[in-house]
Amino acid sequence: MYNIYQAQPAIIEDIIEETPTIKSFILRPQRDFSFSTGQFIELSLPGIGEAPFTPSSDPNKKDKLEVTIMNVGRLTQQLHSLSKNVRVGIRGPYGNGYPLEEFKGREILIVGGGVGLAPLRSLLLSLFSELKQYKKVLLRYGARTPKDTLYRNLLSEWSKKIDVITTVDTADKEYKGNVGLVTTILKDFSIDVKKAVSVVCGPPIMMKFTTLKLIDLGFKPENIYLSMEKNMSCGLGKCGHCRIGKYYVCKDGPVFTYDKLENIPDIWD
Amino acid sequence: MSEIYYSQAASWKNFLTELRQSFRVYVPQKNNGDYLYQEYRDPVNFSFNSYRAVQPVKSFLFYTKEIIAEDIFTRDLNTEEPRPTVVVGLKNCDLHSLKVQDFVFKEGIEVDPLYSQRRENTIFISGDCSGFKEVCFCLALEIYPHPKEGFDLNLSPVSDGYLVEVGSERGRDLVGRYQKFFQPAKQTQIEVRESKRRGLIEELDRHIKEKDIPKRTILQSIVRQGYSSDLWKNFCLSCVECGACNFICCTCHCFLIGDTQIKDRNPRLRVWDSCQYANFARVAGGANPLKRRAQRLRNRFLKKFDFFVDNLGMPACEGCGRCIEACPARIDIREILRELAKVSPIPT
Ligand code: SF4
Ligand code: SF4
Ligand code: FES
Repeated sequence: MYNIYQAQPAIIEDIIEETPTIKSFILRPQRDFSFSTGQFIELSLPGIGEAPFTPSSDPNKKDKLEVTIMNVGRLTQQLHSLSKNVRVGIRGPYGNGYPLEEFKGREILIVGGGVGLAPLRSLLLSLFSELKQYKKVLLRYGARTPKDTLYRNLLSEWSKKIDVITTVDTADKEYKGNVGLVTTILKDFSIDVKKAVSVVCGPPIMMKFTTLKLIDLGFKPENIYLSMEKNMSCGLGKCGHCRIGKYYVCKDGPVFTYDKLENIPDIWD
Repeated sequence: MSEIYYSQAASWKNFLTELRQSFRVYVPQKNNGDYLYQEYRDPVNFSFNSYRAVQPVKSFLFYTKEIIAEDIFTRDLNTEEPRPTVVVGLKNCDLHSLKVQDFVFKEGIEVDPLYSQRRENTIFISGDCSGFKEVCFCLALEIYPHPKEGFDLNLSPVSDGYLVEVGSERGRDLVGRYQKFFQPAKQTQIEVRESKRRGLIEELDRHIKEKDIPKRTILQSIVRQGYSSDLWKNFCLSCVECGACNFICCTCHCFLIGDTQIKDRNPRLRVWDSCQYANFARVAGGANPLKRRAQRLRNRFLKKFDFFVDNLGMPACEGCGRCIEACPARIDIREILRELAKVSPIPT
């Protein structure tokens, strides 16, 4: 019997230490597995448990899959203690992902906070593979401290292709860049905010203030794409954990345009 | 035209006894003024239940705790083909709850394999209500105390036996296979059934009116409009977060997936969950949109009267009153709906 709750095995091929609290795991699925950017997977450790993650890799690379994971809970702590060649389980992909077709020909402002840059990296890699299709791509990224800045090497590489500005909430001695919340670098761009789209991913509080700022700047609610984080368990619209208003984040999201959410109370809690 | 038969009480009992050769047969047994489903074993006496049983019907299809994958890496789920089951004694509220459970488990982006398999393998024989409990309020939700659809067979007590209405192909097959226990119903018997039904509706209607429960048509808007009301805080004060209201509810369906280790296997389990538990909505990073009890109580109402109305076109409450009886804190859904209607600006 085909079983929707069954995981399939994947081997951890490599582990990259990104920051003191974040690691990237390069997985090789044992059977065909593909996803579109912005969709999520359920990653499990046999006998221990399962949690949702959005891959951070290029969906066009079919043989491997990368997830960037912050150590925040029981399962992620166990994941962080793993070494290469261990077998984990994956299920999915689930949810809607980013609607790349709708982005074509438009200006795209991507705003990330903390580990929220991980799903956005997958989006960026998708965009890079056909960059001419998009009018303009900008990235604004904020991390807590310079040490917490994710994908540091990649950020400078990306800045050769697109307009990238980063900031940190708190600087240290060696740091020379912008200091302040990510909302403070949402300015000085020459894009037509009435027509542009924005894609936002980060901790709830960052998403909240970024969205309000974007509205202030003149972005239309239907052009603001938010990756919502809820307690997802089944990923299939069955277990009931991820409800927000009339939606299940796992199947109606995780990507929502703000116009769908703005009338639902307490969406940022 | 509906197909209605008559089965004399003794024939009906013999029919159930014979069914046992091919099915697991569950019938309600009287227990301190309540009815509990039990597997039918001779010499169990069949007594027609005048109102719904204690257990929610979902428990026949979706177990409190069960293995949903033998091992996360084994592709196939090892379920022995369950013996077909016949459940006797559902009421119309129970049948309505199956619409909700079917929507969750059989529809949507994927089909739940265990639920669907059991659903296929279970025959439901419902019955008219011939009485009701103090907590019953189905009529307020526009659900009648006798079924019109959704059953395989439906029983209506008449003198010395039952009228048996066919509601599905499977029900028709069953009557066909056991013809000797059934005979065509007489028009006069059907008239008796109709007048009993009308009588009970009138009685129940008076009962509901006394309780002053708001009409089904305004439930969604009063729950929405009461979002910021203090009443959630007031009503949740005595809640001990036991989850009984969810577990006993025939429409609640939330579950948790958990992995365990048994020797060298890693079975995956599914366990009923309750939105009244503090960690229900907590994410790994620590954020918890349902941190407070008042938020969780409100969540139960939003899910039932807002989410399901938007997604399924009906509320996920059938007025069975099980949650009222199960709650150790005496939190009463009827009272909350009534108070919501009072604070809501819409005229009721
Ligand atoms: S909410 Fe209460 S009355 Fe409504 S269906 Fe569930 S248990 Fe029955
Ligand atoms: S049954 Fe009553 S006490 Fe238990 S969780 Fe539900 S509302 Fe709270
Ligand atoms: S994760 Fe189970 S319903 Fe969304």
